[in-house]
Amino acid sequence: MSKTIMIVDDSATMVLSLKSTLEMNGFKVETAGDGAQALTKLKGGVKPDLIITDINMPNMGGLELIKNVRTLPGLRFTPILTLTTESQAEKRDEGKRLGATGWLVKPVAGPDLVKVIKQVLPGA
Amino acid sequence: MSPLLEQFLSEARDFLQGIGEKLMQLEAAPADADLMNELFRLVHTLKGNSGLFDAPEMTRVLHAGEDLMDAVRNGRVAYSRPLADRLLDAMDFVGMLCDELESDGQLGAAHAGDSVRLVDALRHLLQPDDAPAEAPAPESTPESAPAPTASLAEPTPVADTASLPLASIPEAVRMQAYRRACAGEPLSWLAYRPHEQCFYQGDDPFFLARQTPELLWSRIEAREPWPPLAELDAYSCMLDFQLLTAAPRAALEEQYRYVMDQVQTTEVPRLALVMPQGDPNGGPVYDDFAADARRLLQTGDLEGLARNASTLLELSSPDLWIASALRWLQLVLETEPENKAILDALVDCLGSLAAPQWGTAGAAETHTASASTSIRQDPAPRNERGQEAEGVADASDEATPALSPLAADALAAVVAAQGEVLALTDEPRWLPGRLKAAAAALSGCLRATGATAKLQDLEAATAAALARNSGAPLLTWIAAVFPAELVGEPGAAAPVTAAPPSPAHSAPQPPEAEGEIKFGRRAEDAISGPKSLKVDQAKIDRLMNLIGEMVVAKNALPYLAGRAEAVFGVRELAREIKGHYGVINRIAEEMQGAIMQIRMMPVSFVFQRFPRLVRDISRKLGKEVELILEGEDTEADKTIIESLGDPLMHIVRNSLDHGIESPELRRAAGKPATGTLRLRAMQESDRVVIEISDDGKGIDPDIIKRKAYAKGLIDETLLEQISDQEAVNLVFAAGFSTTEVISDLSGRGVGMDVVRTAVEKVNGSVALTSQQGRGTQIRLSLPLSMAVTNVMIVVSDGQRFGVPMDRVVETVRVPRAAIRTIKHSLATVLRGRIVPLKSINDLLGLSAPPKANADDELAVLVVRLGDESLGLLVDDFSETLDIILKPMTGVLAGLPAYAGSALMGDGSVLMVLNVKEIL
Amino acid sequence: MAVEYKKNLVVFHDVVGVEDAEALLEWLQKKRTAKVDLSACTHLHPANLQVLMASKPAVQAWPADAPLRAWLEPILTAP
Repeated sequence: MSKTIMIVDDSATMVLSLKSTLEMNGFKVETAGDGAQALTKLKGGVKPDLIITDINMPNMGGLELIKNVRTLPGLRFTPILTLTTESQAEKRDEGKRLGATGWLVKPVAGPDLVKVIKQVLPGA
Repeated sequence: MSPLLEQFLSEARDFLQGIGEKLMQLEAAPADADLMNELFRLVHTLKGNSGLFDAPEMTRVLHAGEDLMDAVRNGRVAYSRPLADRLLDAMDFVGMLCDELESDGQLGAAHAGDSVRLVDALRHLLQPDDAPAEAPAPESTPESAPAPTASLAEPTPVADTASLPLASIPEAVRMQAYRRACAGEPLSWLAYRPHEQCFYQGDDPFFLARQTPELLWSRIEAREPWPPLAELDAYSCMLDFQLLTAAPRAALEEQYRYVMDQVQTTEVPRLALVMPQGDPNGGPVYDDFAADARRLLQTGDLEGLARNASTLLELSSPDLWIASALRWLQLVLETEPENKAILDALVDCLGSLAAPQWGTAGAAETHTASASTSIRQDPAPRNERGQEAEGVADASDEATPALSPLAADALAAVVAAQGEVLALTDEPRWLPGRLKAAAAALSGCLRATGATAKLQDLEAATAAALARNSGAPLLTWIAAVFPAELVGEPGAAAPVTAAPPSPAHSAPQPPEAEGEIKFGRRAEDAISGPKSLKVDQAKIDRLMNLIGEMVVAKNALPYLAGRAEAVFGVRELAREIKGHYGVINRIAEEMQGAIMQIRMMPVSFVFQRFPRLVRDISRKLGKEVELILEGEDTEADKTIIESLGDPLMHIVRNSLDHGIESPELRRAAGKPATGTLRLRAMQESDRVVIEISDDGKGIDPDIIKRKAYAKGLIDETLLEQISDQEAVNLVFAAGFSTTEVISDLSGRGVGMDVVRTAVEKVNGSVALTSQQGRGTQIRLSLPLSMAVTNVMIVVSDGQRFGVPMDRVVETVRVPRAAIRTIKHSLATVLRGRIVPLKSINDLLGLSAPPKANADDELAVLVVRLGDESLGLLVDDFSETLDIILKPMTGVLAGLPAYAGSALMGDGSVLMVLNVKEIL
Repeated sequence: MAVEYKKNLVVFHDVVGVEDAEALLEWLQKKRTAKVDLSACTHLHPANLQVLMASKPAVQAWPADAPLRAWLEPILTAP
């Protein structure tokens, strides 16, 4: 049973890059262009096994999204990884505090991405 | 090009455009925090994306831009025009790299210099003016990815291993661990105490622990006794994980990077694992064995010792303490027979039946442990350790043992590794620990080479380093004590041989603004992006072609209905076909409309480049210009919008160059110093109109007249008669240019005639009005769409031709008698005006003469050509039709007589004439 | 389903996720003599592990996955 991963990023390039890597590795991928869109999808019944979200996004940023996701009944324990840059240590700590599991540092190389996912997603 | 690169480039252009716009807007509102944040976000995202590709120059420049914007939005650096200039320069550079990526698929090597220059320019702005220039912050380039992740807290000192429950690890596991330690692998005890609420962060601590690399032994413990089930909270984590691993520190840091605050590691020296266990009573008498063993050890008869141990082991019950001690003795004899100190201690404990006392052997161990942790991969562990153990054992003997080549390499590697660690410019909380670790490793190196005399110097350097919280003093010491030749590896040698960095250099850069980024920038979150789809142009074109075919196929239905009635005589069916035709026709038309709609673009697409252009040019010319854009939402077909770019650019440049005066001149003329340039778009029925107006000096009709006369564009008579309004429109005449000196700004030596030609190419028109001293207004009028062309079909010499309806004035039938020949040209009089006539057959090189109808009248299609009318003699007129005009392609593209072709309902091809060209 | 409840036996399959722990706890509260079959289990979220540790059901079959068994055996073996 392949796992579903939701990618939330306002940059279509980043989404495409992650999506193609994940699909190549047998994951199902859901995408959203910002936190608000992601939340709508999640409330609409999309149930990913893992969420990867950017921090800086229009409409609703990643941190706000994490806060909201943790209030949804089916997503209390879902692993969430933030997409950060090396200069955003504070953001990723803040993300962790709000309920993120960990973080990815952009640019995310394909093998690294898969490695991290296998680390936080048992059975992936 | 890969889809990813394609996506990146398309998005990058949007970002660059957005960055330019935001910078423009910031000039007007430098304190606007929302704008600033949005600008930062754009640069930040673009930088992140660029990292996906092999474009280090681009990433580097964007990184510097991002840092600068971050400083600006946090108020550390003030926004200024020069700052905007540099950022714009940098973005231009990035845009250029994008173009190169698009055309070549990669970046050439030539950009490194430019990127360095731009980065320097941007970084320079980051420094407060009063501070001396600092070394640039360490950059992240794609090569350095993945970026440094968190580190585990420094391992607790070795002495603490006594408090670890190592005894609970089965002997077999400890022996296995010992072997691996002997092979140079570092041993760590790791205690992982997950937060109670960690499940709500998506953590699975058990899974994480299970994946610990090089796991040797592990156990789970409940933090406290379990409550009754009814009170148990399954989601509050009450488990502790403890494990023994042979993974290098880096691998553990990697594995536990998300929970490093919940993890504690302790280095485990291999000797700490040697703890004989078992029943202390019973078994043979061991005194003799211990005495024999000591003698064998002293004479170096290790084989004899092994033989004895083996024999005694066979005689003893495996559960005895002594049996356990013998097994350890065997293991040490096998793995490191040269390590006399350990063997001594083990043999001693066989006699005393007490835990082995390591003494000097333990001291040796301590150094080994810290050294091998720092270098992580010890190239020659056995050798180095052997040397070191001897060094310690013979501490009283100052003789320097000669290093084998292998050991020298290992030593060089150790020293180089310390150099690298010390040269790091970050400033972790554990810097003192790092410094101490490096000092310990270096001290080990000194002992290994026997240079114990230098230990005092090292201690002094270490103290200095700790006092200054910097690795510099130790680096200096390394450079002095271990010359470059010793540290052979060229890469590793660099940090060691380099002159000791100045304190300013090694002083850690303030952590990049992270401290000041506040969470909760709602303002940024509130900015909404347009809900739109990006579709490849080719896909839209395909849709256009398909709907074209659909229209054609649909048009075949009336033919079919006609045939049903005329040929097969089934009127009923004919009516039904017509009925269905009506339905399909409606759908097709709506569909066509919808597709046209897709192709519609707002004029903002061309307008958006002007703020930057006007800013740059006016700055260059020393003029103050305010640009006002209006009606940017006005839409027209993509082709039309795109065709607007160059003419508009030319007009705007002209206006800036020749129209708007310098501030002094304007003030002298009683006008505001700042000129106004207005670009206004609007829709007027089926045309889109663009007005470009300035309040500059206008055009002097006299100058134009004189110039036109001098260039032979008008004759003397016209010079007298021409009105001022007509005169200023002479600027559109081919080869006219208003200033003698062609500036580098307005055009490439071409005049306004280029504008006219470009506009007419898409069936547009241009008009100019000007009031001297008050300004100039240029009005471009263009069709909304050029996809559907309404044509009139004419027949000549048995062929059907299309003539665009916007050219057609009227169709008349003229009696042959009314056609006159004036000076070899045909003409007729229509409503009191003389209309020249041309035979379409002549124009197209057809030899047949025009055919008259039964009443001997000739068919004349009157067309408009500029301000004149002209009659085309054809054989007959036919219906008018909406067609999808396809431009001529291939060899046919070279035929100017035709504007294009269209497919007809009966499958035939209609050639559409380019009336202007054939005349 | 990763967790299969039989009459007096709970069978773990593949990866038993965090969400299953609540139901497992409830079930084990009612079936104090229940046994657990871990043979087909490859991983279980520690929330489930805690429930097992606290309720101490008899393990009828250990995981076929040897490393997992090594982790579980010491903590789930009845004293």
